Amino acid sequence: MITTSSKLFYGLGAGSLVGAVLWMISGNSALGTVALFFLATALLFAGAIASFVRDGHVLSTDTAAHATAAATNGSPRASLWPLGTAISVGVLVVGLISSPGIFKVGVALTLAMLGEWMIQNWSERGSADSAYNTKIRDYLVHPLELPVAGALLLAVIVLSFSRLMLALDKSAGVAVFGVAAALVLAVGTLIAFRRNVSRRIVGAMSAVVLVALASAGVATALDGERDQLTEAAAEDHFAHRGCTEEKEYSDKKASRSVGAKSNILATVILRDGQLVAEVAGYEGLQSEVYIQRTNPSTILFINETDEARRMVVSYGKVVEDLGEGVEREIALESCTSKVEKGGQQSVTVRIPQPSFASDEPFSITVPGVESARLTVVVP
Amino acid sequence: MNPNDGMNDNLNDNQRHGDSVKKTPRRRLWALAATGAGLLALAGCAKDAPQDTWQPAGPNAEQIDNLQQPVFLVAGIVGVIVFLAVGWAVFRYRDRGQGIPEQTHGKPVLEITLTVIPVLILIGVAIPTASTIFDLAKTDDTEMIVNVTGQQWWWEYDYPANGDNADRYGIDAPIVTSGQLVIPEDTKVLLRVTSRDVIHSYWIPKLNGKKDSVPGRVHPLRIEGSQPGIYAGQCTEFCGLSHAYMRMETVVLSRPDFDAWVANQLSSYTPPAAGTLAAAGESVFISQCARCHQVNGLANADGSLIVSAPEQYVVSGAAPNLTHLMTRNTFAGASWDLLNSSCRDDVWNATPEEFGARYLAGVSEPCLNQKDLREWLRNAPEKKPMYADPTKLQETDGKYRGMPALGLTEDQIDALVAYLLELK
Ligand code: HEC
Ligand SMILES: [Cu+2]
Repeated sequence: MITTSSKLFYGLGAGSLVGAVLWMISGNSALGTVALFFLATALLFAGAIASFVRDGHVLSTDTAAHATAAATNGSPRASLWPLGTAISVGVLVVGLISSPGIFKVGVALTLAMLGEWMIQNWSERGSADSAYNTKIRDYLVHPLELPVAGALLLAVIVLSFSRLMLALDKSAGVAVFGVAAALVLAVGTLIAFRRNVSRRIVGAMSAVVLVALASAGVATALDGERDQLTEAAAEDHFAHRGCTEEKEYSDKKASRSVGAKSNILATVILRDGQLVAEVAGYEGLQSEVYIQRTNPSTILFINETDEARRMVVSYGKVVEDLGEGVEREIALESCTSKVEKGGQQSVTVRIPQPSFASDEPFSITVPGVESARLTVVVP
Repeated sequence: MNPNDGMNDNLNDNQRHGDSVKKTPRRRLWALAATGAGLLALAGCAKDAPQDTWQPAGPNAEQIDNLQQPVFLVAGIVGVIVFLAVGWAVFRYRDRGQGIPEQTHGKPVLEITLTVIPVLILIGVAIPTASTIFDLAKTDDTEMIVNVTGQQWWWEYDYPANGDNADRYGIDAPIVTSGQLVIPEDTKVLLRVTSRDVIHSYWIPKLNGKKDSVPGRVHPLRIEGSQPGIYAGQCTEFCGLSHAYMRMETVVLSRPDFDAWVANQLSSYTPPAAGTLAAAGESVFISQCARCHQVNGLANADGSLIVSAPEQYVVSGAAPNLTHLMTRNTFAGASWDLLNSSCRDDVWNATPEEFGARYLAGVSEPCLNQKDLREWLRNAPEKKPMYADPTKLQETDGKYRGMPALGLTEDQIDALVAYLLELK
């Protein structure tokens, strides 16, 4: 049906089309043809939309259309999308001045809000039946909306939880999560026993918990991680730095709770300037440690002296050929980071070659303590 | 109750179906069931059952046996009682169209009794179980230590040259072997069990319970044999393609025989005489095999020692040490014999007195199981499934799991066999 406004679009569209053809024949640059074709397409499309929605209104004389046209169907319903779009644009602008990350979030949010807004508009003019209109909207966007909403919810929970765990002191964490778990169990039990709890109460409770969790997450995120972690990050605990005796790095609070403590290959102790080893299966302290060839083996170092020390496992050299007759010797060694008095650190070694194949014996030593040495044998 | 109730019902059943043969199907069924049960019972009497937990051959296994006999008895009695009770209830109260009996809710006395009795039984079983577990875990009276390392799909044993091993048994340099673990009789040997790749489990049923071998962990397992002989086992934790071919044997030798074994393992390498077939085999070995397999003392023409580099070719980073290959009598995860069948029987069926000498004789040319060894050298992955197709190793950075087919000629194999026979 050719409505008033569609006539305009169709006319302009047809004109552009003719223009495009003429331009093409005239042999001018192809760009003009392309541009005019696109213009024509866009105008004809707009005309088609105007036809489809009957210019957004129905002639009072067209009685037949009163029953069927979408345009006769009530006024648009309340919508959150304009507000959402405004906020998103705000985020976008803030991002523009502060950080590219926020800007990208703003762009994504703005596009999402505009998209939702457009789809709602479109659906409200879908037919004269508003229930049907809602249905087509849901049909189109739910497959996108629901997973995204679920993922967002999950992200909020996970993020808040992890911020909380990173900020809480280790021992306080045990208490807090113990109590929280007990509470969940208690509430779950209560609900299970009172079968007629209304959905609304359960929903409200979940909402309260979610809000509490999210605010705890925000609060702790602003507060920062617990001191131990900040310290470890500042001291760069996990970076690789040679095995020498340098002073500047030392783990002030080297872990006393190394996870891989049980059933490891050996525990090596620095005591009174000497190294001794406790080896699973051997009675008493050992001065020799057997390590199976190519087998990843964990050795725990305990420093019982006052200075911060590290343990170094040395297992020979490889010679790297740098070409043109130049060779470089690389010492094969693995070490713990520096450990304060009473601290523990483990190191996992995988020694590729047997000790008999090396000119110098394999050893475990402590830089700065000459007398501390254990023999390593790799059969 | 009329004892014929059941019978009559059954006859009625048959008649209802208009079956003219009345008793036969039932009898046949009984006969079938009886045969099945009989066969099952007979299977328990197998003489040649090398992995039978019910035939302990050392104190650790005996301890387990002493525990499981009474536990099995108790469990058996309880089982029989339960089956009889259930059977009786099913039969006695079967549906004969009678009315629904009186419904009661709860019988505290009965319920408490039926809870307390099992609790008491379980406590009775738990006490000796716990004490056995602690006994078996004891390590403070260890007399010898062997490191046991599992990898796909064979076991490596290395004998540290320190502590009691050096002092009492004269092991003054590390010994590395595979497949067959050799230990002295009546000696408390502590195995330090670990793994280079995935989880395996070490179990010689006649000598002790099983212990998982877990990468990154060292698990102690005590083992002790009180009679010379070979005791078989197999990996008992599914570990991939050739798990079924990951077997092992523990060989118990009398003390003097063990000393002789140690002395031989520590003896130095003698290259084959120049010009022999074995010498040709040695050079094939150096070019084709020495990159994975260590033979201690094997040297290049210029006298430099050859050190294998299995870490570059094999995922687990290890291949069996072949220095004294022919002193063991099985190979490739103890899955095939190095001895032909008559020589094998001589060793495996030897009396404890004869055993040591026969085992120490190792594998000589007339006794060699040429067929399996040659098949192995011709195409190892065809004999034992392994991930060893060179075109499919992207995931492992070009490394094999197991031994690849090396495309050797028959001449090379002849030479290699001659050479391997000298590795004693
Ligand atoms: C890429 C590395 C590699 C090469 C090369 C190689 N092997 Fe192996 N070989 C292995 C591995 C791995 C095993 C253990 C396989 C198993 O049992 O699952 C093995 C097992 C064996 C065994 C059994 C040893 C035992 O104690 O069970 C023999 C014998 C053997 N190889 C001989 C040879 C010979 C001879 C050559 C040279 C022609 C050779 N291999 C080349 C990796 C290699
Ligand atoms: Cu296994």
